Amino acid sequence: MSAARAHVQAPPLRFSLDGGALALFEPAHAVPLVSIVLSLRSGSAVEPPDKAGLARIVVRMLRRGCQGMTAEQIDFRVDALGAEMAVDTSPSTVAIHAQVIARNVDAFVELLARLLSTPTFPSEELERLKRETLAEIIEARDNDRVVAQKALQRTLFEGHPYGRNPGGTTAGVQAIGGDDVQAFYRTFVVQGNAVVGIAGDVTPERAPELARKLVAALPRGERTADTVPEPTMRPGRHLLLADKPERTQTQILVATLGTAAHDDDHVPLLVANAVFGGTFTSRLMREVRSKRGWSYGASARTLVDRRRQAWVMWTFPAAEDAAKCLELTLQLMETWVKEGVKSSEVAFIARYLVRSHAFDVDTAAKRLHQALDVELLGLPADYYSSWIERVRAVTPEAASAAVRNRIHPEDVLAVVVGTAAQVLEPMRGAIANLADASVVPFDLE
Amino acid sequence: MASARDPAAGRRAWAAQAGGLTYEGAHPFGPETVHRWQLDNGLTVLILLDASAPIASYHTWYKVGSRHEKPGKTGLAHLFEHLMFNETESLRAGTFDRKLEENGAESNAATWVDWTYYYESLPADRVKLAVKLEAERMARLVLREPQVTSEKEVVANERRYRVDDDVEGAANELLYKTAFARHPYGWPTIGWMEDIQGFTPEDCVAFYRTYYAPNNATVVVSGDVRERDLLLAIRDAYSAIPAQAIPPEDIVPEPPQLDTRDLVVRKPTATEKLLLAFKGPALGDADHATLTVLSEVMFGGRAARLYRTLVVERELATDVRGWVSTFRDPGLFECWATARSTHTTHEIQAVIDDAFKVLRADVVGEEELVRAKARLELAALQQLETIPGKAEQIGFYETVLGDPAHAFRRVESFRRVTTGDLRRVARRYLSEGGRTIVRVLPEGSATAEAAQ
Repeated sequence: MSAARAHVQAPPLRFSLDGGALALFEPAHAVPLVSIVLSLRSGSAVEPPDKAGLARIVVRMLRRGCQGMTAEQIDFRVDALGAEMAVDTSPSTVAIHAQVIARNVDAFVELLARLLSTPTFPSEELERLKRETLAEIIEARDNDRVVAQKALQRTLFEGHPYGRNPGGTTAGVQAIGGDDVQAFYRTFVVQGNAVVGIAGDVTPERAPELARKLVAALPRGERTADTVPEPTMRPGRHLLLADKPERTQTQILVATLGTAAHDDDHVPLLVANAVFGGTFTSRLMREVRSKRGWSYGASARTLVDRRRQAWVMWTFPAAEDAAKCLELTLQLMETWVKEGVKSSEVAFIARYLVRSHAFDVDTAAKRLHQALDVELLGLPADYYSSWIERVRAVTPEAASAAVRNRIHPEDVLAVVVGTAAQVLEPMRGAIANLADASVVPFDLE
Repeated sequence: MASARDPAAGRRAWAAQAGGLTYEGAHPFGPETVHRWQLDNGLTVLILLDASAPIASYHTWYKVGSRHEKPGKTGLAHLFEHLMFNETESLRAGTFDRKLEENGAESNAATWVDWTYYYESLPADRVKLAVKLEAERMARLVLREPQVTSEKEVVANERRYRVDDDVEGAANELLYKTAFARHPYGWPTIGWMEDIQGFTPEDCVAFYRTYYAPNNATVVVSGDVRERDLLLAIRDAYSAIPAQAIPPEDIVPEPPQLDTRDLVVRKPTATEKLLLAFKGPALGDADHATLTVLSEVMFGGRAARLYRTLVVERELATDVRGWVSTFRDPGLFECWATARSTHTTHEIQAVIDDAFKVLRADVVGEEELVRAKARLELAALQQLETIPGKAEQIGFYETVLGDPAHAFRRVESFRRVTTGDLRRVARRYLSEGGRTIVRVLPEGSATAEAAQ
């Protein structure tokens, strides 16, 4: 059998379960580990606007007490089984990601089912978790990149659910009470809203039984309708500077609205973006890092969610290079939009994207996460499976048109984390036709 | 003569026939096998056949790290991590990465105190591109301006990102500088800023000629490859590169630390941070695994003793972590804690001191030991989940300990650790007399003034 034939990937197995839940299974037996994802079709976008952080708190509370077990006993049991659990929150979904040594998978699923079915949400544990979360919010301010990302999200999507911080804000977390936790659990942590993913060293016979056990542990309830509106972009060019003392370096994010997965020109835009800032030899890296040595990294990303998300360009130059770096990257962006991409660039990047696809699917966990993305973000069913064909079909004209139609350099938000006394004036000067500039404290939420 | 009863015989016979390389034997690697080969010029090649995905990962580990630098030239080993992606005698600057990307490869490099490694992960049918490129840059790298100056700028920016503007990075640099007065582990792998800015192309050429040689390197390949085909390609690409006389190391062992070194640094951060470190064992020391289990009992996960006390019960800290450095020579057992709100490093330290006192006096509960071992087993398996992950584990343990399958031996060592062993290493290493403490205090805070 040839290597190529041996590696044809079957899609993950799908099982419809009671109460409208769905399960996905991706087997792999190379390492005795099992990954389990319990995800909900709702995330921070459904939180009450004044209770930012609720979705994450509720799911974290699931391991802070259940019938017959205290938080301490649960923590000890998880560890002793050779398991770990983490919570991931985004606007559209909140999920428990777990991994366990294969020999203990049955015992771990028993435990997880117990946590899901009989949470006690002890009030002293809720207060403790709130204090923990508030301290984590403070610690995150030490990371300038995180400060920049939060400021960008808050400002680019101001007034829109995507503008909320899925990790929570100080005021939001403080406002959360036991009733909020109970209400969120009853409404959203329910069978109809659940997608279970299992990947790894489990047999195809056993996997559905494990998924069924987890779903049976959830209360019955309907899938939540998604009422999030399309975001809109504020016209004009805006600068937001998060002022932090003693920065030798600045974090610079430049953003505008990007693409939605169902757009006809979605893949052409991703191809054009890879040319611009998606690889180590992209235009941005070549000009900013290789030629000038201004920033350790330089990249551009298109984020994907259920609605149109952001296109973001990222550099982090020394404070003295910050203004000229911002000016250069805006010029590169304008040239990219105006002149598009060359056929040689598209041919090159298509070879990269098609051949590197092997690394998008080389583990069961990655294949499972692709399948979960399709479900949870409402992507087209063939979003990943037809990726190679769709990339190959992109012409230079289509890629250039996608950039021209979707990316608007005249409507951008530049977020900078740096020391205002040093970089504010130079940064203002770096942005032609700047509509306004504002300076905020770096710990603003 | 080849024998069906000796699985090595076929490989040895084939090597003798092919010429230019020898088969050195097999290392059981869990349920799999790593095969060891050597070229006549001393290049070691380790191959793990793994057809679980249509990819291959090609790692080149050099036995050179920041320990091989001289004062005034710190950061040179790491600068190579950047320079090695530049110009070679047959590839113009920028071509190296273009060729890799065009073939769908992922590539990167890392440098630390004992080693530097480079890797390419490629679609399996492209693995010979990595052979060609790595052989080319092992011997034919061009080191000249303007690339050296440009990469120095990039590294200076990397330093600002990882150290100067990063609270934990800056504290960690200070910890090692203070704990190691003689040994090169005292200077940062990324280098002091003034050293980075002072490098010349001549410095780079001298370092390259000294350490970038086949007999100072190990190539590790894991993935869906044809072993013999690949070996012939490696032999043909590397055999003309001559072995070098690698200078013997001139490292003075760090003298025992008998004093407590307690430093304060002020940073623009909201809360205090504590880094407290004891001198620990070398990775090859039998105590290393034991101290790693002890660290897990104390710091690993929400149910760990110190996490439980400091974060959950007394709420003095937001986060605590412990780590035993995985270095060839004795390193540190580091304890890190982020104070919560207005709590101080002194309050946290008092709790840590008490907890270690208990460890020196009493044995831990058997169930705590079981919990710690289960977590370490999970972590070990996670590192072997992917084809590139396996190559990294093989290369790391081969380079530091000369044992490519040590990841599995380490799990066995964890399993053998007893509660009595934990008490013994606590008594041996966790002495309050000889340790180093770095306290990060928020700028302008009252405690910052009081500590002066």
